[in-house]
Amino acid sequence: MHALSARLKIQKGNFSLDVEVDFLKGITGVFGPSGSGKTTLMHLISGLEKPDEGHIEIDNSLILDTSKNWNVKSRKRRIGYVFQEGRLFPHMTVRKNLLFGSIYANKDQQIIHFNEVVDLLEIRELLEKRPKNLSGGEKQRVAIGRALLSAPKLLLMDEPFSSLDVALRRQIIPYLIRINIKLGIPMLVVSHDLPDLLSLTQELFLLRNGRVEGHGNYFDLIQSEKSLDIMRGAGLMNVIPFKVESHDVENGLTHLINRDASHEINVERELINDCCKVGDELNVSLRPEDIAITLNEISDISIRNQLKGKITKIIKKENRTYCLVDVGFLLIVSITQASQQKMNLDVDEEVYCLFKSMALQINI
Amino acid sequence: MNMNELLNFSEDELLAIGLSFRVAFWCAVFILPPSVFLAWWLARKQFRGKSIVEGFLNLPLVLPPVATGFILLLLLGTNGLLGKCLNEWFGIKLAFSFYAAVIASMVVSFPLAIRAIRLSIEMVDPGYEEAAKTLGANSLQTFIRVTLPLALPGIISGFILAFARSLGEFGATIIFAGNISGETQTIPLALFNEIQVPGHETAAFRLLLVAVVFSFAAMSFSEILVKKLHHRK
Repeated sequence: MHALSARLKIQKGNFSLDVEVDFLKGITGVFGPSGSGKTTLMHLISGLEKPDEGHIEIDNSLILDTSKNWNVKSRKRRIGYVFQEGRLFPHMTVRKNLLFGSIYANKDQQIIHFNEVVDLLEIRELLEKRPKNLSGGEKQRVAIGRALLSAPKLLLMDEPFSSLDVALRRQIIPYLIRINIKLGIPMLVVSHDLPDLLSLTQELFLLRNGRVEGHGNYFDLIQSEKSLDIMRGAGLMNVIPFKVESHDVENGLTHLINRDASHEINVERELINDCCKVGDELNVSLRPEDIAITLNEISDISIRNQLKGKITKIIKKENRTYCLVDVGFLLIVSITQASQQKMNLDVDEEVYCLFKSMALQINI
Repeated sequence: MNMNELLNFSEDELLAIGLSFRVAFWCAVFILPPSVFLAWWLARKQFRGKSIVEGFLNLPLVLPPVATGFILLLLLGTNGLLGKCLNEWFGIKLAFSFYAAVIASMVVSFPLAIRAIRLSIEMVDPGYEEAAKTLGANSLQTFIRVTLPLALPGIISGFILAFARSLGEFGATIIFAGNISGETQTIPLALFNEIQVPGHETAAFRLLLVAVVFSFAAMSFSEILVKKLHHRK
């Protein structure tokens, strides 16, 4: 069942948005460069702007149909909107901010109670503080909590990573995943930062110049040249789910194993930071530029991670060549055209993908 | 002239001071709700002819107060356009009464109050209002719970400005309310009287002192509030 389905058209000066989107339950990412219409899309869904033409259904209930002159007001749509800057009310404490919307919400429709939100987002010690005394990440958690307490059927997140420092920006991810798992509330996350978005979800909509240029699973999308073209400027990324297999204390390594237990990789224990127990699941990100391709396994080399696979597709873009290699899961590898020609790489060729464990990023 | 004489207020002067404060207080109180509403309307809504409305509302700022008083007399005087109806239907005579002094003050203070309040509402990020709407609040609830408290220093500042402007009001009052001791004779009017009479310089000085002290206090307080508004931002 669709959590949300929308057809929206709006003309604003030179910019026009014309999109058709359907989101399933779970977390869906909307990726697009600045000016692609992401915020307009969020405003239209939430009712802060009205489209020239449009039709929106949430959970199969109609909230907008311009042809029938039907328009449910923003405050009645039950869409939680977490704004980029949080927009916490500066004259209220965190507690009052959190409770702002709950007086308008129907008690039977509440998906979560005050105390649960406070515990889930770990904001109990902030309750009596004013927003100006909070850090960026804290503000964002409070904003999420405030939206959740207004009993939403859908959560919109506008650029949840960009208001935070680089070092902290991914801190929000575990909270979002927890909310999605625990409350089952569908989430729509808009971002211009592909690697950050991918560490949260692989279900993507690609937006460019007000049009949806592709949607589906990330790994299906990178196989289409048009989608790849939109995404590659933003930092393509391999995101692979792994499970902690064992810790090798003596050598300072942690062994990770992929879903079907066909592949094992090693990462430095420092990266894992001792926060994962054996059996924990985590996402590993790896930049396509950090992977090397060889035709044979190399034994006299310091790189331990060598995954055997088969090239399924080769896409040339300017002077880069992107190889999709099926190593049991799909890896996207970026090499120079010169290398590709010299090695005479082609589809169906068996190759090894090499990467240093330091090149891996762990998202817990 | 010694210090004792400067503080030795006559009964008429005390009457004028008390009256001034009553007029100023009621002026500021009555002016506040429409000022807040109009300020919000001007700050948040775009509509055709907005500049004309703004020009009209600001008119008392530049019009000679005497002219304003004359317009009020023409409108609300016993033989005025509206005044006649009020008198004939309800037996209400506004001109040359305490209420006339309050009305004259209100008209001249109105643009000042609107300006201060509008400025403070414009400084409230509309993003907060959007957030309130997505959380389920309607326009009135949003205004009361978000816009109003965030603009509060400006609203208090508008109240004080209206109060202070009313304390200094002369031209419109003397035309529309007259110069009746104990009823419409406020500090400026009393001061005007004293200056006219030779030998009453000390009395004039006493009133002058009162006018300066209270005007200064009101303006300083208003400035502090404006600073607070900026600081909060």
